[in-house]
Amino acid sequence: MIKKLFFLLCGFFLLAGIDLYSQQEVVLSIKEGMPAIPIAIPPFIVHENNGETNTAAEALHKIITDDLKYSRVFALLPKSYYSYIRPLNPKKIFFKDWESIQAKILFVGEISNDQGENILFEGKLYDVKAGRFIFGKRYQAEKSLLRLVAHKMSDEIMKIFGEPSIFTSKIVFVSNRDGNDELYMMDYDSHNQTRLTFNNVKDYMPAWSADRKKIAYTSYRKYKASLYILNPYEGKLIEVQDIGTNFAPAFSPDGKKLAFCSTIEEGNSEIYIATSEGKNIKRLTFNKAIDTAPTWSPTGREIAFTSDRGGTPQIYIMDAEGSNVRRVSFGGSYHDAPSWAPTGDRIAYISRVNQIFDIYVLNLHTNRIIKLTESNARNESPCWSPDGRHIIFSSNLTGTVQLYSIDYDGTNMRRLTTKGENKLPDWSR
Amino acid sequence: MKKSLILSLAFILVFAFFISCRKKVEEVPPPPPQVEEQPKVEKVVEPPVVKEPELSEEEIFMRKSLEEINLEKPLEMIHFDFDKYFIRDDAKPTLVTNAAWLKKWESVNVLIEGHCDERGTEEYNLSLGEKRAKSTLDYLVSLGISPDRMKIISYGKSQPLDIGHNEIAWQKNRRAQFTIIKK
Repeated sequence: MIKKLFFLLCGFFLLAGIDLYSQQEVVLSIKEGMPAIPIAIPPFIVHENNGETNTAAEALHKIITDDLKYSRVFALLPKSYYSYIRPLNPKKIFFKDWESIQAKILFVGEISNDQGENILFEGKLYDVKAGRFIFGKRYQAEKSLLRLVAHKMSDEIMKIFGEPSIFTSKIVFVSNRDGNDELYMMDYDSHNQTRLTFNNVKDYMPAWSADRKKIAYTSYRKYKASLYILNPYEGKLIEVQDIGTNFAPAFSPDGKKLAFCSTIEEGNSEIYIATSEGKNIKRLTFNKAIDTAPTWSPTGREIAFTSDRGGTPQIYIMDAEGSNVRRVSFGGSYHDAPSWAPTGDRIAYISRVNQIFDIYVLNLHTNRIIKLTESNARNESPCWSPDGRHIIFSSNLTGTVQLYSIDYDGTNMRRLTTKGENKLPDWSR
Repeated sequence: MKKSLILSLAFILVFAFFISCRKKVEEVPPPPPQVEEQPKVEKVVEPPVVKEPELSEEEIFMRKSLEEINLEKPLEMIHFDFDKYFIRDDAKPTLVTNAAWLKKWESVNVLIEGHCDERGTEEYNLSLGEKRAKSTLDYLVSLGISPDRMKIISYGKSQPLDIGHNEIAWQKNRRAQFTIIKK
């Protein structure tokens, strides 16, 4: 009898559970993921003490500290803790000291001048508890490349912890700061904003290739909206598709394919797929409704996209061959701009409610939805960072459209651009 | 004696003759005084101005550049409802007028641009703009304009006419407009 009751109760809870998940409720800001690792980054040691080298050491220290703080993998020890213990001696590290102030990882940086213009930077990572050296890296560079040196060092540290490179990644976007919509790129932290296209036509919707070397985008030329592929480092530009209006390109994670939207046939936007050079174009969607905004799953086996085949724009997923289409967004009347997280488990997208656009994140495993932004504005074009912990998007929060980044849990929102209007960001993988 | 008489007679005769001859010469009226020829004053009148034959409407049209024609906006734009791309009833007479103009100028090719207001997302709006341009093209085809003379393009919300953030601006921006690209 008791056994029976137990099964009944179990069944009831099971049913309740299923019901809960199928309802797709909006849940605000869930903190998820593992606890951050406490890391100590004492001030870098400067050999051949002089003014310039000191400045360089301070700059490197700040950039690496900022990078690791941004990573969400590490928690930096407060600076005041360093005064509680003996000063760092790189020749003989007292690990017990560092353990006493709760450091798990210790990063030691040493900097010296190398033949005038160049600096020599050496970074070493230690496991405090085990009292052992993990890895080290030595860089020689001109002083003008300090930022790159620091970002490379930070990327190496992340690599040790199994994280993809994020600090040397680039963000491509559209800006009208010089009067016309042109492509620009910048570092993840908004430094080094560089103009990429120089023409008088409208350039639109850029997307990085998997190897971070090419950018596919739409350019309005000769009364057409054609698709182009730009290699900014070689200054090469090729035209890919010039029939109809072509837009929203997305390279596959393996870099072999290019998905995009086109109105080649019948003036209706459908999703097409081609080789990464834009050859061998194949149609994936076949219906009278609008199909747009393709985004690849990190495995390359599926594509999420927007379609209004059900009457309103919603997010759908299909296999990369176009079959097995299923709807994944519910509970709103206007969903668009899906971006599949590189971790594979989540899709960020826009939902429009009363003319306000906010960014939501759908967890494909649990079907839970997180509302990421809460603003009386239009937040648009979300795109994940390579590590899936940050999202870049555009917003008219301040009146003009600017780029912002926000963490996966809705914290740490920061503004990245100020000049002109800036939109349609794409974060290189 | 007689000889000298004859001689003198002869002399007299010769003299007389001479006199008479002289007299004759004297009697010839003096030649009329030579008149110096004066240059004739010619009054120069303006040559007749070449009058161009009156231009036909067609010739006036063909003389204009595409930019000039487009500035005159011979084809009026039409507007759409929020999130929709069907041709509204109030847009139909405009398209009939536009079709008549396109029939008049058989050589003209036109680009139909679809535009949206800022309340749609970038990606969806590009598709919606294309749909608006396409339904405009379809309506013109139904009025007898060859689809070969028309091209469509979508600008999404990237080219608003009015940068305001209110219903008046949005209504202005939800449009299909025409650019003449060949004549």
